[in-house]
Amino acid sequence: MTLIDRTSPDTRSPGRETPEVPPRARARRPGRWSYPLVFASPGLLVYVCFVLAPILLAFGYSLTNADLFHPDAEFIGAHNYTTLLSDDAFLRSLRVTTTLTLIIVVLPNVGGIAVALLLDRPSRLYKALRSVFFVPVVLSSVVVSVVWMALLSDDGLINTLLRGLGATSPPGWLSDPDLALCTIGFVISWQMLGFCSVVYLAGLQGVPKELLESAAIDGAGPWLRFRTVTWPMLAPAMTLNTVMLLITGFKAYDHVQVLTAGGPGLGTTSTIAFDVIQTGFTENRTGLSSAMAILMLVIVAVVSSLVLQLLKRREVDL
Amino acid sequence: MTPLRPYVRPLVALLVTSAFFLPLYLVLANVFKHGPDITASPASPPVPPTLDNLTEALTRPDRLFWNGLINSVMVTLLSIVILTVVSAMLGHYVARTRSGFGRIALLVLLAGLMIPPQVILVPVTEVLDATHLMGTIGGLVLFNVGYYVPFGVFVFSGFVRTIPIELEEAAAMDGSGRFGTFWRVVFPLLRPATASVLIFLGVWIWNDFLNPLIILGPAGGTTVTVGVYRSIGQFQRDFGGMFGLMFLATLPILVFYLVLQKHFVKGLTGGAVKG
Amino acid sequence: MRKALRPGALALLLIAACAPVGSGGYGSNASAGGAKEVSFLVFETPNLTPDYWDTAIKRVTDAHPDIKVKKIVAPSAGERTAYAKQLLASGQLPDVMQAVAPSGFAESGHLYAWSEKELAAYQYPGSNPLGGKIYQLPYNTQPTPLVYYNKKLFARAGITDPPRTYAELLATAAKLKAKDINPFVVGGGGKDAFAAAYPWIALVGADVYRERPDFLVRRRAGEARFSDPLFVRATQKLADLVKKGYIDKAGLSRDYPSTEKAFLDGKGAMYPMGSWFAASVDAKELPFGIGVFAWPTDDGTTVVPAYTGGGPIVNAHAKNLEAAKTFALAFNQNTANNDVLVKTDAAIIAIKGYRPPTMGPVYQDTLKVLRSGKVVNAFTVETGDDALLPGMSDKVFAIAQQIVAGKTDGAQAAELLDQEWAKAGGR
Repeated sequence: MTLIDRTSPDTRSPGRETPEVPPRARARRPGRWSYPLVFASPGLLVYVCFVLAPILLAFGYSLTNADLFHPDAEFIGAHNYTTLLSDDAFLRSLRVTTTLTLIIVVLPNVGGIAVALLLDRPSRLYKALRSVFFVPVVLSSVVVSVVWMALLSDDGLINTLLRGLGATSPPGWLSDPDLALCTIGFVISWQMLGFCSVVYLAGLQGVPKELLESAAIDGAGPWLRFRTVTWPMLAPAMTLNTVMLLITGFKAYDHVQVLTAGGPGLGTTSTIAFDVIQTGFTENRTGLSSAMAILMLVIVAVVSSLVLQLLKRREVDL
Repeated sequence: MTPLRPYVRPLVALLVTSAFFLPLYLVLANVFKHGPDITASPASPPVPPTLDNLTEALTRPDRLFWNGLINSVMVTLLSIVILTVVSAMLGHYVARTRSGFGRIALLVLLAGLMIPPQVILVPVTEVLDATHLMGTIGGLVLFNVGYYVPFGVFVFSGFVRTIPIELEEAAAMDGSGRFGTFWRVVFPLLRPATASVLIFLGVWIWNDFLNPLIILGPAGGTTVTVGVYRSIGQFQRDFGGMFGLMFLATLPILVFYLVLQKHFVKGLTGGAVKG
Repeated sequence: MRKALRPGALALLLIAACAPVGSGGYGSNASAGGAKEVSFLVFETPNLTPDYWDTAIKRVTDAHPDIKVKKIVAPSAGERTAYAKQLLASGQLPDVMQAVAPSGFAESGHLYAWSEKELAAYQYPGSNPLGGKIYQLPYNTQPTPLVYYNKKLFARAGITDPPRTYAELLATAAKLKAKDINPFVVGGGGKDAFAAAYPWIALVGADVYRERPDFLVRRRAGEARFSDPLFVRATQKLADLVKKGYIDKAGLSRDYPSTEKAFLDGKGAMYPMGSWFAASVDAKELPFGIGVFAWPTDDGTTVVPAYTGGGPIVNAHAKNLEAAKTFALAFNQNTANNDVLVKTDAAIIAIKGYRPPTMGPVYQDTLKVLRSGKVVNAFTVETGDDALLPGMSDKVFAIAQQIVAGKTDGAQAAELLDQEWAKAGGR
């Protein structure tokens, strides 16, 4: 996973290129082995057809008022964008996405470190427990959501339990407009926890034991040892986890669809991803949904690269 | 510093893991229970166990599970095989080439890692419509290949860089063709990368919900994951039937994970966290 | 070099192999044996099981062996119209769609308009016209909602007769509440937001449509607004019921079937629900009797919101349009099919000459209430020119959830509706 450090392993410097040699001759000379484009073409072709071209198409649509129920699309310039940026509903779905993403970035990161520290022992027991934490990662979000829906509904196990403990009106986990978003965030976090803890466990393997021991001899308590020795060594793991969680948060759709369908109430859990699909496929407003999609793309790109930069810098500083 | 008593850590670890696992336990237990027992005592263990829920899911008259299974297996297998072939070659190309085009291609591909599928889904349906691939397994497979090729390239290109180029140059001097060199010399060395690509993409594509729902549409039938979603409405209060279907839909991917667990974790962490 | 080409060739072969795998594709092809294929969008509920649809389709294809039906199942019953739109967006609109609201599809020319001759068999052939044309076969009348009540819980609270005026309804609720009985069961969690709207639909029928049957027509013309006092007052009544604790907020975490179950389990005394609920009751042995009354108006006049329609709509661009039409009509008018619908869904069939099978007491009482009152439109259920703009009913359901959650009052709800109306392209 070298998204994180793309720069290091490529040892060849561009300065070694010798432009005066014709390409054919260069290809034949050992050490100047150039690679035929044929190698790349099938992959690139499909990528262009199914990712790049659609993005361009989406951008094109976003400048029109295309709507399946009113087939004559007209060019309307940036109108969709200005509409969206002043539309309460769109701003709300931005807020919803931000809140959800924050929950999803924080909870599994914190929980992941805790679980990794707890299970960072070589015996079989801990190995088995690690596998348990990873199971939800390989389950489909639909299955995970259905399981939690059964637990969280008012006559589900959790509220039945709370009533048994004497609560008269236990929280409406998915029915209270103020709570539903946090609940969805929790469910996604539960699913991602195993991913994070496995990455942190791998990071812990890189912590030099001698360093920990010598720190212990110097009288450093567990917290000080964690803060000064372990924590900096976990920085690359945190970078990977955070970027992964960030992207998970931005594209959250399945859980929302199954657990709340964007409600309760008007869009209280409607993420941008959900809104794009809703507007595009069930309201059939292709132009508007394309503009949303392009804005979403820009936001995802800007935020992820900013965060990535920040975390990389932090890795160096620590 | 006061060392913890030796039983504290395993105890805490067991407790935390049990709490974490509770939701999955409930599904597992209730798959093997009769409907009335599920509502009466959802948390009790399934004693004596029954296979009724599984039989019910397996023998539905509309073959929701079997048709879904066939579609899921075909889509997943075709997608990951093609993806491995295509992205190994492309990953090798971008790792080795020094042309400006190659560098740009790599950047554009890596950017693709961040694109949420929702952004491109509307236009993708038009591309597929124009090529008469909408509603077909082929269409879904092609979309999967396009959408996941950045991930494949990202893993393969990273791995190719760890292989000394001299190996390939030597093979090239032996007169081996470029494809020959790649498939006979380089590709076998990429086995760990291949494993992680197969495993990750296998899991993602199997579990995918939105893309099959829209691209496969109704005509090509559903996948098991979409089938689970559809059964929510039909079973409604029949948790036994629903959990049975969920269990069966999950079983193949769970077995896949348990068998390849070691590679999975390696693929996830390989080179990523050592800085 | 030839050997080396193998993987590339393999990849191409695989790609080529993919294409025919998903054979059939979308749309409908004339298939083997000369049979004309018709794709048919249905939805499954606990009553309308996969088996029901297969049997019902087979009855029709047995009579029309030249038609071959490809059944398509919507991912959920409540989402069937949204799903049809999604299929339209991805170029896969089915040929025949059961109980999918025609608005939006019809105006943009995607639906076939039935001729007078084809509609001759129906009791109300002019129901829900869109631009003067009928797109959905009007085969079934559904009072939506009536109030079903638990006779045992009423008796426990010392209530002998069902309320006739709104004041009596409030008194009834107060008496129930005093005995710690939850007065109303209202649900509507997750994908089933619609279930939260039934009391609101009842209030709009009793208080708005009764005075202004053409309220939505005027709203479409820009002559009326949701924030008009008439509509706000009706909506505020719902907010007040919530504020007084007569509607349990916990209901919002119940999906539609759990809501029904909650009422049948005795978790509340009154259940505002469509007439189809009668079938669920008559089929069960319950430890208490169930009665039914129309949601009361202020002065005690009986008003019943009801909708006649609900049949199939047909894709105007179906490959085999004639076959699609034939199938839709035959499916819709098949007596055996409709008998099942009466039994499982308490359908009140509006086809001339149709005789329903013998039914239980709650169904009979439901019919009595329907026939005793003035019939008005059922808010959000309408599909004609007097309907909400396309896509608006989902907003109504979402806002209903907000009211039931106690977050929104009548005036705010009306304001939100006007905003959504503007966004949906209305005046």
